[in-house]
Amino acid sequence: MANIPPKKVEEDIIRQPYRWLEDRLPIISFIDNAVGRGYLAPKNLNYLWNFGSLAGIALVIQILTGLFLAMHYKADVNLAFDSVQHIMRDVQGGWLIRNLHMVGASFFFIVVYAHIARGLYYGSYKKPREVLWWFGIVIFLIMMATAFLGYVLPWGQMSFWGATVITNLLSVIPFIGDDVVIWLWGGYSVGDPTLTRFYALHFLLPFVIVGLVVIHIWALHMHGSNNPTGIDLKKKSEAIPFHPYYTIKDVFGLGVYLIPFCFMVFYLPEALGHTDNYIPADPMVTPAHIVPEWYFLPFYAILRAIPIKELGVVAMFGSILILFILPWLDRSPVRSARYRPWFRQMVYIFIASVFALGYLGSQPPEGIYVIMSQFFTAVYFGFFLLLPLVAKLETPKPLPKEIT
Amino acid sequence: MRFLLFSFIALLLAPAAFAGGAVEVEKHDWDFQGLPKEWDKDQLYRGYAVATQVCMTCHGMKYINHRQLMDVGFTEAEVKAMAAELNMSINDKLVSGLEPEDAKELYGKEVPDLSLINKARAGLADYTYAVLVGYSEDPDEIHHALPDGVPEGAYYNRAFPGHAIAMPSPLTGPDLVEYHDETEASIEQMAKDVTYFLQWTAEPELLERKKLGVYVLLYLLIFTVLAYLTKRAIWRDVH
Ligand code: HEC
Ligand code: HEM
Repeated sequence: MANIPPKKVEEDIIRQPYRWLEDRLPIISFIDNAVGRGYLAPKNLNYLWNFGSLAGIALVIQILTGLFLAMHYKADVNLAFDSVQHIMRDVQGGWLIRNLHMVGASFFFIVVYAHIARGLYYGSYKKPREVLWWFGIVIFLIMMATAFLGYVLPWGQMSFWGATVITNLLSVIPFIGDDVVIWLWGGYSVGDPTLTRFYALHFLLPFVIVGLVVIHIWALHMHGSNNPTGIDLKKKSEAIPFHPYYTIKDVFGLGVYLIPFCFMVFYLPEALGHTDNYIPADPMVTPAHIVPEWYFLPFYAILRAIPIKELGVVAMFGSILILFILPWLDRSPVRSARYRPWFRQMVYIFIASVFALGYLGSQPPEGIYVIMSQFFTAVYFGFFLLLPLVAKLETPKPLPKEIT
Repeated sequence: MRFLLFSFIALLLAPAAFAGGAVEVEKHDWDFQGLPKEWDKDQLYRGYAVATQVCMTCHGMKYINHRQLMDVGFTEAEVKAMAAELNMSINDKLVSGLEPEDAKELYGKEVPDLSLINKARAGLADYTYAVLVGYSEDPDEIHHALPDGVPEGAYYNRAFPGHAIAMPSPLTGPDLVEYHDETEASIEQMAKDVTYFLQWTAEPELLERKKLGVYVLLYLLIFTVLAYLTKRAIWRDVH
């Protein structure tokens, strides 16, 4: 017991409720220091810094809507599809909850992709924020797992066949691959045991993400936010308190986010989905094209670009895992792409290649599409492999004296 | 800003990407598009007549019962009479008398439930309509699409992927049903009405959703403008 010698402890709960609580559990000052007046942030953050708080809100939206869905959903191969229709038709406001969850997943990914791209462009992954960057990637990985598992739950054709194709990838693990897949399925094909365990995990993982987000923010607070110039703050006057400056900016950003989000929820809820998922899962009928959700398409394209299945799987996972060593691949002391003419062009080309791969992932794996996928896969990895060289050869522009 | 632009391009690309591979079907203006206040009861009734008197010989609409029609303007007396006409109670789901196994035996294919059909095919409502009016006996056209001839037990159809469908043309000629409102029951009219009805069975929440959307978006617009003005006021002293 690390007992601190007793100070004067506030006794008057009526007149001094804040002090009283503070002396017992300093939770309010903890929050205030985390995202309130106590957290000082650079004053020059641009709107790309809104995506962090938006990602947090998107996560909360998924958890709240998911919880209400879970009250009516039935994880049983004979009931799952009908239970989703029950939600859409009979549950009060059920269609709204489900559309929010469905479109919410897509928008969560848009936000997180923008958040990652921001970090890439401004060199936020560099010293001393490597661990912060790592936790971000872990969150991204678990988020992808969660979305993949969730997409299986409505038990439509794409749910079933997407699950079959993606889980089958693990069969490339040497020696034990086939057993791993059977263990994962809980049987010899995707079936009822698969659905129930996917549901259990889909319920659990978002809460794991919440825990990781706390650690992510903890790491952020060690050195504070990066900023568009990428230089460290030198004067007190360069920082402003998070509240009210960034809280109000985030509230405004939230409005800007919710408008296209709600537009999709109310007017195009299915536009990002696939019509085949309104056909109940049928193990006897394979859909003409099995396509994953749009947010997986770039990685799916990398998988299919490589003719050797084992290598394709390695490349697909590698395309994300390589982000872990990014801070050591890029040794340039300058963070922000603003002052790195070569790096800046490379980031744009890299992002363009992700878009191109996304498009190619939606196309059938034949002819010119395969060749283009191979080309853009090379561009994707080329970006990382060229970084050490660029850091050496590039002449950065002069850095400003203070943040602007 | 450029990232935002990219995100929007992604949003635009995604549906376009999925459209690939589907048979192109002609687009129509449907009354449920835009922002109608309510479902057209007369058209629903006409579509219901086609659905129950023609399609239900083979297809079910298992998410629908007569009671739900009371949500779109039918009175209890009306739905009771309609259900009685089919020897059903108003709580019975609209399932076909044809058992799924028998259907498979007869047609060699699953006969899909129609409740969700307008959401379950690329082309959506336009596709359902296109299938219904997509039959032809024109030998040139058939030969052009199916050079090896129409397979045994299948029928030529313009819209169906592969052009050989196991469903015999359900709307063989006009006046298969008698409409309550003296609308002429041409093939196109029946196809249109039943497609309209099937849109309701697929998304009964559609019009409520679009109506609520207007209020939500208006609210958010005002919210966002106020948030922006507040932000400007608070940030005024930051240089
Ligand atoms: C004589 C039985 C029969 C009747 C009557 C019938 N259908 Fe069908 N329908 C079928 C069969 C069989 C299939 C499966 C076709 C296939 O997969 O090749 C089918 C499939 C369909 C499809 C799906 C086509 C696809 O893309 O898979 C639609 C849409 C459809 N029917 C609509 C209707 C409508 C609307 C009516 C009423 C106007 C109707 N059907 C009446 C037997 C019938
Ligand atoms: C990281 C956060 C989450 C993501 C990205 C996510 C994603 C998804 C996706 C993509 C679907 C399929 C939607 C569809 O096509 O119908 C889904 C379904 C579902 N999710 Fe989540 N989800 C998240 C959190 C949660 C949580 C926390 C719960 C429960 C508390 C939950 C419960 C459900 C249920 C019950 C379904 C099935 C109903 C349906 O398919 O509409 N989700 N989720």
